[in-house]
Amino acid sequence: MAVAGRAALYLTLALLAYGATAGSLAALRGRRRLALSARAALLAAFASTALAAAVLVAAFLRDDFSLVYVAQHSSRQLPFAYTLAGLWSGQAGSLLLWLLVLTGVSSAAVLLNRRLVADVLPWTVPILSAIGCFFALVPVVVASPFATQAAPANGAGMNVSLQNPYMLAHPPLLYLGYVGLTVPFAFAMAALASGRTDERWLVASRRWTLASWTFLGVAILVGAKWAYETIGWGGYYAWDPVENAALMPWLATTAFLHSVMVQEKKAMLRVWNVVLVALAFCLSLFGTFLTRSGVINSVHSFSQSSIGGWFLGFIALVAALSTVLILVRLPLLRSRSHLESLASREAAFLYNNLLLVAFALTILWGVAFPLLSQAVRGETLTVGPPYYDFFLRAFGLPLLFLMGIGPLVAWRRASVRSLARALAWPALAAVLTGALLVVGGAGSSLPGLVAYTFSVFVLAAIAHEFVRGTRARHAGGGESWPAAFASLVARNRRRYGGYVSHAAVVLLALGITGSSLYGASATRRLQPGQSISVGAYTLRYASTTFRPGANHDELRARLAVFRNGKPDGTVAAGKNNYHVEAFFSNAVAIHTDWLHAEDLFVIGDRFHPDGSVDVKVVVNPLVDLIWLAGLVFLLGSVVAMWPDARERRRLARRTDAAPSPARLALLELRDRALAALRELEFDHRTGKIADADYRALCGPLRRDAAEALRLLEDTAG
Amino acid sequence: MSGSPARLVIALSVAATLALFLLYTSLAGGATRSLQPGELRAGLGTVNLAGLVLGPVRGDADAAGMRFRLRDIAGTASVPVVYRGSVPDLFKTGRHVFVRGSLRRGVFVATPGSLMTKCPSRYVTKGG
Repeated sequence: MAVAGRAALYLTLALLAYGATAGSLAALRGRRRLALSARAALLAAFASTALAAAVLVAAFLRDDFSLVYVAQHSSRQLPFAYTLAGLWSGQAGSLLLWLLVLTGVSSAAVLLNRRLVADVLPWTVPILSAIGCFFALVPVVVASPFATQAAPANGAGMNVSLQNPYMLAHPPLLYLGYVGLTVPFAFAMAALASGRTDERWLVASRRWTLASWTFLGVAILVGAKWAYETIGWGGYYAWDPVENAALMPWLATTAFLHSVMVQEKKAMLRVWNVVLVALAFCLSLFGTFLTRSGVINSVHSFSQSSIGGWFLGFIALVAALSTVLILVRLPLLRSRSHLESLASREAAFLYNNLLLVAFALTILWGVAFPLLSQAVRGETLTVGPPYYDFFLRAFGLPLLFLMGIGPLVAWRRASVRSLARALAWPALAAVLTGALLVVGGAGSSLPGLVAYTFSVFVLAAIAHEFVRGTRARHAGGGESWPAAFASLVARNRRRYGGYVSHAAVVLLALGITGSSLYGASATRRLQPGQSISVGAYTLRYASTTFRPGANHDELRARLAVFRNGKPDGTVAAGKNNYHVEAFFSNAVAIHTDWLHAEDLFVIGDRFHPDGSVDVKVVVNPLVDLIWLAGLVFLLGSVVAMWPDARERRRLARRTDAAPSPARLALLELRDRALAALRELEFDHRTGKIADADYRALCGPLRRDAAEALRLLEDTAG
Repeated sequence: MSGSPARLVIALSVAATLALFLLYTSLAGGATRSLQPGELRAGLGTVNLAGLVLGPVRGDADAAGMRFRLRDIAGTASVPVVYRGSVPDLFKTGRHVFVRGSLRRGVFVATPGSLMTKCPSRYVTKGG
């Protein structure tokens, strides 16, 4: 069996190498059939990788310990679901899963876009294949999952921290996110290489970017949830390099998703967008490098190996090649319009981008600081959570504020009158809430108070947008209220999906603020019958219980909970002892009080021979909003990504006639002007834009549209 | 397009970011050294120490303090450590740990509660 797996991996490498070389040749020389064969090789590489992965999964299911990788990461006692997770519980298998996702995503993206960007695809295929080549080379040469040995009687078991449903989901989600970013990168670079720098590469990769961004975000939250429930220190994020590794590409992609809109609406920031795509991809590679190389001291550790040098070389190569490509094609990326006013939607997007990228880069600086200081000063210096917390406030709070303002500011130019009209209600709501919070005692932390107030401001602005839009549709089309709401969202999926994502970020901000700035904790060694008090809670230690099991034994301290003196159930916190792995792990108790929106988090730290136990109790206000944010975030992305038949028809009309680049540019110009007019019309109808502003903005847009139509007629003739 | 306000915004924000950096380093004093026992000397202030635990482990972390030695990951230099506070489950002789603190008269006095063990990623041998 192992032979079949190994053969399939070699075949994958060969197919991808063919796809990269034959594909480049075909693209350079314009050979159509050669390009098709390269594409076929990429699809076949997915099939052979799937075969290799199936062999490994089958080995895990059959407890085939003659495979070194299986013996090291599984045992006969391991529950079934975790046996499946064996595939990604170690380095070699993770890389195989990575390769599987990469070839799968590449094949799907190429197949689904074969009509829209037919002239760019000959370049996309070799770029995707070359990246795949690297990820196939590593498991073949450096870390093979198919090494064999004389089978031992039982395996060493799976890392106990991974035996949790959240950890079952976290790595594959993270890989989908990291790997998905390859698609926009490959399309952007292919557009540059082929010289077809119109907007189709953005359209072709938009949903892939959105999907990877969603997977990355959900993976970070699932990882946080896992840390909260199983690591058991009372927190969920510790600014560890490995955690930051996923956050950086997420932030860069967030910036990209916003600046893309400026390119679509105003044909601006075209250089910036390709730079952001390359940055996001490099950061995702850097994240893989961090987690896989062990080069930076992290509490997390993965098998250290020689893999680090390979990755660093590959990142350097990718960064150098994309820089050269961008520089060579700079003349094609010149913007045709410029920023008209510092108070406009596009300016708000620009500020948002600068803040997001600055935040991502300060995190990168913090993560790389030990390496840099070692290289420059010969001693390893590290920056801790205070560094990151400082920049989270410095960049996060303005971002939060901007999230409330941005959607309310008009494109091109916003007048003071329009702004005041749009901001009045949300601002009033925020100020009132702020005053109430000060009275309620939230003034104990200034950043906390500011974060709460800004959050209310953003939520009010979002709610106001939904109400205003629904009202305008209701009044305009005579639809019932629910129908008006549904058609509002359905006709502007990206806009209203985006608002839902904004709401998720606000929930996240509220959860982080509440739990990190308004929590309380206490630690005490308790004899049976003794109590510990934190905030409104008192916990009385009743007894210790022990329950043996097949995979692990459970040792628990039972405590009776009282909230303001009233009984509020019992909790059991303690340890699990895993047999095969010879490993103790924390089993914390989390007692969620939905009514007061807080968690009581109890850790049974050490069990002493005299029957006493060290208990740590943490009260985490609003922490559950963080998990809720994950669900809302997912909802927002689904709304924004949902296929739109009208949009597809419009795109098909534009590209099906296979127009020349010049004509395509004119068609884009026309569609952009018409879309801007439509949006202006709607914003005017909802009352977001004052009459005077509407008249002032309408004129130039109508002229643009008319000019584009006239030129189109000229070229058609 | 020299008068484009976009350039002004970008220039200003780069300046603002640099100013924030300076503000941070002047307020918080910057970074902490990460060392191994062999590199430890007096007068370094608070550092992050990484090393392997050498037995015997004596004393009570809840009372007067738990005492053990830390050795370089790949070396022989070692230093005595005294620690108070919560002890991670994984803590035992031979384990790779991190602890924060400072060297005082030849003994590394740890910040209470700062002991962390590195998660072992694989279990090649039973109990490894």
